[in-house]
Amino acid sequence: MAYKYTLELLTGIAIVAFCAMFLYTSATMSGAEFAGSDNVGSGLVAKLSGNPVENFQPLIAQWEPPSGEIEACLFALQAAFGGILVGGVFGFWFGQAQGKNAE
Amino acid sequence: MHIMEGFLPWQWCLVWWIIALPCLMLGIYQLKKVLALDREALPLLGVTGGFIFILSSLKLPSVSGSCSHPTGTGLSTISFGPWITAVVCAIVLLFQSLFLAHGGLSVLGANIVSMGIVGPLAGYSVYRLLRDTSVNIYVTVFLVTALADMFTYVTTSLQLALAYPAETGGFMSSFILFMGIFAVTQIPLAIVEGIVLALVFKYILMLKPDILIRLKIFSEEKINAARSES
Repeated sequence: MAYKYTLELLTGIAIVAFCAMFLYTSATMSGAEFAGSDNVGSGLVAKLSGNPVENFQPLIAQWEPPSGEIEACLFALQAAFGGILVGGVFGFWFGQAQGKNAE
Repeated sequence: MHIMEGFLPWQWCLVWWIIALPCLMLGIYQLKKVLALDREALPLLGVTGGFIFILSSLKLPSVSGSCSHPTGTGLSTISFGPWITAVVCAIVLLFQSLFLAHGGLSVLGANIVSMGIVGPLAGYSVYRLLRDTSVNIYVTVFLVTALADMFTYVTTSLQLALAYPAETGGFMSSFILFMGIFAVTQIPLAIVEGIVLALVFKYILMLKPDILIRLKIFSEEKINAARSES
């Protein structure tokens, strides 16, 4: 029984350990802003090139979400689309498997 | 791993687009071929692609004190190979460029190369190496997924270091600096992603082993052995 659920157990432990690491880091690391690594990388580009970040203008004009809330909403929509795909297909497969067992 | 719009000189944008485009064309060709041969591959493509959509939208805090996101490309890499994975990644990255200001159209080629091509290619190499050995299926999925994730960020570091070599120390010095930002943040995320997607693969294997066998993702013996253990 324990062997059957080894992966589930490992996944649970990994997620708990990951959360614990976050709590430990946020409590002990002074100056941890948890900014996106993309932004931190862009900061390093600015430093290496000797140009402030504001000087890097888009080569192709792009639309920006007007606020952090709208950006979060759009990210959630992206995740929701993925979730619908995954849930829909797993449901379809589960139904197929149940139908087979019933036959 | 997104290089932001305007942060790569146009010459480098062009180079990465020139590398990405033929890979995308090959991916579209392979996708058509796979779906023409077996329509049952479509739901599997939906699941594996769905995880790219979900995981690449999750910005997670890491031990480095910054946040990053997993890529979710491992399952698609194992199931359909790196070229089809590149097509799915291109769709996700295009959405993020157009609506989230993450990445951008000029740097889309560079971002496709890192997340959709080099990362999956690294994972696929491990998969081909381990597929016909006695290594456990789930260990294989874990390694493929974690490495595809890590190599995505190594590639981003490489792309930025090539465009912005440090004044002292040049490319290598710059590469180490970018790796310090991207790769260190990514290590715990890649490990958790590997474990989670190995678990997802277990459920695919339990519910739909026939499609995995038909697509020759793993041998029938290996799949049956994994099913009997679960």
